[in-house]
Amino acid sequence: MHIVDGVLSAPVLAGGTVLAVAGIARGLKTLEPDHLPRVAVLSSAFFVASLVHVPVGPTSTHMLLSGLVGLALGWAAFPAIAVALFLQAMVFGFGGLTALGVNIVNMAAPAVLVHYLCRPGLCRAEPAALFGWGLAAGTLAIALSVLMVGLALAASGRAFIPAAELIFVTHLPVMAIEGLLVGAAVVLARQVKPGLFDFTPVAPAWVEAGDD
Amino acid sequence: MIGASVPADSLLDVLDARLRLLAALSFALVVVSSRGFLAPALANAAALVLVVVARLPLDRTLHRLLHVDGFILLALATLPFSTPGDIAFSLGPLAASRQGLAQAGLIALQANAAILALFALVASLETVSLGRALAGLQVSPKLVQLLLMTVRYISVIEREYRSLRLAMKARAFRARSDRHTWRSFGYLFGMLLVRSFDRAERILIAMKCRGFDGRFPVAEHARFNRRDLWCGLGWLAVLGLLIGIDRI
Amino acid sequence: MTPPLFHLAGIRFGYDPSHPVLRGAEFSLAPGERVALTGRNGCGKTTLLHLMLGLLRPQAGSVEAFGAPRRTEAAFRAVRARAGLLFQDSDDQLFCPTVAEDVAFGPLNLGKSRSEAADIVTDTLTMLGLAGFERRITYQLSGGEKRLVALATVLAMAPEALLLDEPCNGLDAGTEDRLITILAGLPQAMVLISHDAAFLDRLAHRRVELRDGRLI
Repeated sequence: MHIVDGVLSAPVLAGGTVLAVAGIARGLKTLEPDHLPRVAVLSSAFFVASLVHVPVGPTSTHMLLSGLVGLALGWAAFPAIAVALFLQAMVFGFGGLTALGVNIVNMAAPAVLVHYLCRPGLCRAEPAALFGWGLAAGTLAIALSVLMVGLALAASGRAFIPAAELIFVTHLPVMAIEGLLVGAAVVLARQVKPGLFDFTPVAPAWVEAGDD
Repeated sequence: MIGASVPADSLLDVLDARLRLLAALSFALVVVSSRGFLAPALANAAALVLVVVARLPLDRTLHRLLHVDGFILLALATLPFSTPGDIAFSLGPLAASRQGLAQAGLIALQANAAILALFALVASLETVSLGRALAGLQVSPKLVQLLLMTVRYISVIEREYRSLRLAMKARAFRARSDRHTWRSFGYLFGMLLVRSFDRAERILIAMKCRGFDGRFPVAEHARFNRRDLWCGLGWLAVLGLLIGIDRI
Repeated sequence: MTPPLFHLAGIRFGYDPSHPVLRGAEFSLAPGERVALTGRNGCGKTTLLHLMLGLLRPQAGSVEAFGAPRRTEAAFRAVRARAGLLFQDSDDQLFCPTVAEDVAFGPLNLGKSRSEAADIVTDTLTMLGLAGFERRITYQLSGGEKRLVALATVLAMAPEALLLDEPCNGLDAGTEDRLITILAGLPQAMVLISHDAAFLDRLAHRRVELRDGRLI
C-alpha cells in the first residue's frame, strides 16, 4: 500500500506533506516524554509487522496493524507511523522520500479516526463484544487507508483509477484478516494487561515550553 | 541501520550527514519531476555510482531493489491499459497504449533512481548520525528520539517475535489460511506488545535513574566544512545538469 | 533391542560456519530412558535439542527420528508432533491470554477439534496439579506456575519424548521438587539439560557431556 516515488502529481505530494507535518506536530504536542518508549514500541511493532506474512488463501499478506496503533495512540499514531514508514523506505525502499508525506497521511489518518470511533466502545465493551470492536478497528483502518490511497492516485491522474480499484479489491481479504488479528490482539491485551491502552496523552506544561 | 549493513570507511562518511539527507531528498524531487527518459536514466547511473562509492554490497542492494521493483511493476501494471493513446498490444479485450507503457516505464525509472540514492546516501548512515542530522535540520528532538528508540526496539521485538514463532513451530504450528492461524497471530502480536510495553516501562525507569527529566539534549554536530561545501555545490551542479537535460 | 526414538550421527553445526558448536556429535535416545545432557554454557546443548526437532538443520550429519531419516520440513513436522520441547524461558513458549488457550494450541495444531482440545486441557492440567488454572492469565502467573503450564502445553500433545531445556532454571526448591515428582512419574523418554546435579541424580538414567562439539 506504499505509493512509490514518481506516481503522484506535485499538488498531491505537496498536500500530503503539509498534512503529514501537521499531523505529526499535533501528535508530538500532546505526547508526554514518559510515553515515548511506548510509542516507540508500537512504532517498532508496526515496522516488524510488515515483515510477517500471514497466509490468505493461496497467497499471503503482510500485517499492517495500523488499527491497533491508532487504538493505542490516538494522535501519537502520526509520529509513530511516520517513523516506521521512514525506516521502511530507507531499509527496504518501500515508498520513497517524496511520497513519504502522502503515505504517512494514508496510514496514520485512518488510525487516528479509528481511535476516536472505536476506542470509547472498546473501553466500555463487555468481554464478548471486545473482539467485535477490535475487528471493526482493524478492518476500518485498512479500508480507509486503501480508500485514501485510491483517492491520492485518482487525484494524480485519471489513468490511475483502474489501479486504485484493483488495489481496493485485492485488499478486501487483507481488511478481513487484519480485523481478525486486531480483534484477537485486543482480546489478549484486555485480559493480560487491562491498562495497556489506557494512557491518555496529556501534555504537562514543561513540554510546551521545552519543545520545538 | 537495521537490515542494512553499514560499510566501513566509505568516501561518503567524511561528508556531513545533513548534506547526505538533503542530497537524497533533492535528488528524489528532481528525478520525479522529470518528463523525459534521458534524465531519469542518467540519474539511475549517477545513483549507481553513489552505491559503489558508498561501498554498499552491490549484489544485496540490487536484490533489494529487484524486490521493490516487483511491487512497483505490479502497481503500474494497469497503467498501459488505462492510458488512452496508440495501441501497442492487446490482451483479449484490453488494449495497452504506447503512451501508457511509456509512463509506467518512466515511473519505474524514477522510483529506482530515488531508491538507489536513498540507499546510498541515507540508509548507509549510522543510526546515531542520522538522528543528529535530522535534529540539525530542525526536526523536533522528540521525533528524533522516537526514531532512535524505534530503531532500538525493532531488533528487540523482532527477536522476541522469532523466539515465539520458534516455540509455536515446536508445538507443530503451521501457518495456514484459517481462523486458528489468524487468531494465533493476533495473540502473538498482542503478547509481543504487552511484553514490549513492560520492557518500555523498565527502560523508562532506567532512563530516569540516569537523570532523564523529559528533555532530550540536542547533540552537537560537526560544522559544515569546506569539503561539504564543495560536495554540496557539485551535487547542485549534477541536479542542474539533470534538470537541463530534461528541459531540452 | 528396541530401535531408538532419536539417532543423530556426525552432526556438524555452527551459527557461524567457521566456528562450529557441534563437530561430529553422536546421540541416541531409547524409548523410556532419561538422559542428562550436560556441558558448559554455550557449548551447544540447546542447539542439539533444536536440531533434533528440525528447528535448526545440521550442516553435516543425519537426524533419524521415530524410525525414519528426517531431512525436510514436512518430515520434521511429524517429529514435532511426537517429541515435545520445553523451552528454557517459559515466556518464549506462552503467548495466549489464558492457560486453557495456550494448552489447547498444540492439540489444535494436531487437528483436534475444539471440544477434544478442551478435554485434553482439563486432563493435562489435572494431571499436573493445575486443575482450576484454565481461566488464569498466563502472563500474570509466577515463574514456577509458568514453567508448569509450559510443561502442560507440551504434554497436551501426548509426545513420546520430552526435550527439557533447563526445566528447573529459576525455580524455588518447592516447585523444583514438585517438577521432579511429576517428571519421575511420566513414561516418556527424556533429554534433560541441567546444571543442577541433585536434579539430575534423581531423574537421569545416564549422562552425556557435550564438550568441544562432541558428546562424551
